[in-house]
Amino acid sequence: MNNQLAACLEHVKKPSRYTGGEYGSIVKDKQAVDVRFAFCFPELYEIGMSHLGSKILYGLLNSMDGVWCERVYAPYVDMEREMRARGVPLYALESGDALSSFDILGFTLQYELNYTAVLNMLDMAGIPFYSSQRPELTPLIIAGGPCVYNCEPVADFFDIVVIGEGEEVLPELIALYRAARSAGLSKKDFLRRAAGIQGLYVPSMYEVSYHTDGTIAAVAPTGGAPAVVRKRVIADFDKAYYPESFIVPSTEIVFDRAMVELFRGCRRGCRFCQAGYTYRPIRAKRPETLEKQARALVDNTGYDEVSLTSLSSSDYAHLETLCESLVSDFEPRHINLALPSLRADSFNLNLMENIQKVRKSGLTFAPEAGTQRLRDVINKNLREEDLQNACRVAFQAGYNGVKLYFMMGLPSETDEDLLGIASIARNVLQTFRENARNRARGVRISIGVSTFVPKAQTPFQWCGQIAQEEIVRRQQLLMDALKIKNVTYSLHGWKASFLEAVLARGSRRLAPVIEGAWRRGSRLDGWDECFDLDHWTQAFAECGVDPAFYANRTMGKEEIMPWDHIFSGVTKGYLRREYDRSLQGLPTPDCRISCGGCGALSLTGGKCDV
Amino acid sequence: MYKVRLLFEKLEPACYTSHLDLMKALQRSLRRAGLPVRYSEGFNPHIVLSILIPLSTGYRSVCELCDFELTCDDMPPDLVPRLNRVFPLGLRAIHAGPAVRPVSQAAACEYEIRWHGVCCAQQVLTALSDALCVEKRSKRGSKQVDVRSYLKSFDAADREGDTICRCVVQAGEDPLNPAYLTLALTQSAVLPQDVATTYTRCAILDANGKEFF
Repeated sequence: MNNQLAACLEHVKKPSRYTGGEYGSIVKDKQAVDVRFAFCFPELYEIGMSHLGSKILYGLLNSMDGVWCERVYAPYVDMEREMRARGVPLYALESGDALSSFDILGFTLQYELNYTAVLNMLDMAGIPFYSSQRPELTPLIIAGGPCVYNCEPVADFFDIVVIGEGEEVLPELIALYRAARSAGLSKKDFLRRAAGIQGLYVPSMYEVSYHTDGTIAAVAPTGGAPAVVRKRVIADFDKAYYPESFIVPSTEIVFDRAMVELFRGCRRGCRFCQAGYTYRPIRAKRPETLEKQARALVDNTGYDEVSLTSLSSSDYAHLETLCESLVSDFEPRHINLALPSLRADSFNLNLMENIQKVRKSGLTFAPEAGTQRLRDVINKNLREEDLQNACRVAFQAGYNGVKLYFMMGLPSETDEDLLGIASIARNVLQTFRENARNRARGVRISIGVSTFVPKAQTPFQWCGQIAQEEIVRRQQLLMDALKIKNVTYSLHGWKASFLEAVLARGSRRLAPVIEGAWRRGSRLDGWDECFDLDHWTQAFAECGVDPAFYANRTMGKEEIMPWDHIFSGVTKGYLRREYDRSLQGLPTPDCRISCGGCGALSLTGGKCDV
Repeated sequence: MYKVRLLFEKLEPACYTSHLDLMKALQRSLRRAGLPVRYSEGFNPHIVLSILIPLSTGYRSVCELCDFELTCDDMPPDLVPRLNRVFPLGLRAIHAGPAVRPVSQAAACEYEIRWHGVCCAQQVLTALSDALCVEKRSKRGSKQVDVRSYLKSFDAADREGDTICRCVVQAGEDPLNPAYLTLALTQSAVLPQDVATTYTRCAILDANGKEFF
């Protein structure tokens, strides 16, 4: 460790997030590798290190001969200040080498409010922001992650965007890069070849033209790029690469545990949920595979908790047998099983009691909306009696707290729907009073309410977010209604949700705005203490962009959307049908009951593990 | 049942691991090593482990001690190498043996303090020849103390462009963090403001000045 870096670390909080050296981090011989890949997470270490996808890709890339993948996270404000003051460039944790010395920088785009952190990381590495300002093949700046389903606001910054599952396409991309480098290809020629690989989107090969009202006239592919970029998916998920060990951080992170992934995709079709559509089709792992992976992780990491993750874990067909088998192995070893993402209508107390023999955690359900009418509109096929029933069983078993998550500002929402949230809270309180094993201990009901952000590639992609004044009014209404004994609530600030809505459905015209906000000091917009909407308001004004055009406008049925040339597998026609059903208040049965023909089967040739 | 005392190093980059995080790192290492460690009883079972004398985040050490219990009656002979195979970078087990002596017998710690880019050993020694007062803060409030009253011995020398001070500082009931020595010397203008400083704990000593284990 050099003296300059040591001097930085003397003056910052949580220095161990900047040092590397964690157990399980992979150090290779620089001379023995020919591709150096920097996995860049535009968030703080404790967030980035919690992310399962990064762990999978880190393991996969490092399993390839000649490839060394290292990690880079966004520094917190104090560390950035120290580094800039001492002229320390952004570096990768494994080697400590400056980011500018890498061949490929791969950014994961998990959240729209991370976009300024991408620019800040490039700036701290001395790398120009726009793909067009980087004529050489190296360094290649690429991106992946859930935001790629509309990455147009940041498209101009990246050379290539990976649409779909990185496990599937990154090895091909690296092979192509190697071949291009040894053949001395220009960046342009390399990109042209890359555009021929399914799942690789080369933004510079698409010309976007606009109508005078700011809507899109056309997105024209050039140089032989496909008109529509199709998502890449793993066909046989059970056999897909999965790491046998994780990096075990030396400081606390958000999800500090081993994780196995039960399945990808979700059969529920909640209309607001981007992941529910973009991870289709559903592909599950066999329980034997999961057992093996969980055991390997526990043995190799020393973690005392394993989380069974997915978008809706109680929908996993073999959940009970899997849990029984894991518990019988793990309980004597004091290893806990965690089961997030449970649905109240499939809540099974036997299962919960069984898996929580070691440590009992809290209960969390997400009814999302306060009335049955609105839950039908969003296709959250959950009845209040299911929720109260789950709470009753849990309270009888000795639980004395529950967290409930809701959204406000959903399409067609009325004040009655909002007040329904308070009514659910009161009913849960009543359920506790009637059923609690020990009423004297009291109950804690926590209500979290976020503001709905319409996302690309969902049935609600056409919808505008409600206006700011209306968000403020509805939040006030909720705050008054939620003043109930034993109930605590938290409402997300509207400013960040508004910006998220702008970026989530934005076009390429937002790139200079993002740069402008960064120039004004925006860095870590996902953190309340760092976020300042004024930076953005000034940047919008400077660029002549009206943010409400993107955030609040309901888009026309025939309108070309900024992301129409990115195909997640679910057709626009299906999304539109779902949108129309939502307007009529009609729910759609989940995929196990009947296949709705969303289109995702075309990606795997007909395989879907509903 | 066997209570183990482990002597280990905590150098870069592990020296940046905080006390609580180090506890967790050690517990996870014990699990990875597959050692038969004893867990606490009750609602939230965890590995019983204690670090004898906490070390400030960022300080290096070649003499950290921690105790934990094994459910077997003898210590596995390969305990040290097994731990070293699974430790994060910067931690290294040196020696393990039965935990016999109570921590109350640890009376002092020897530190090496390196002030980078200065050449002021003589001024340091001169400053320490007289009372050197500083405000010492603790949970019970702050008080003015003479740093020298906590120092059992000290010496300073200029080497390789840095000033290096070796000192034995009182531990136990009323310990002194060696950062107070830097602070006192900065306040009396012997050291420049914000001098880059490296602290290394070199030994834990008993009342007779012998190494405590």
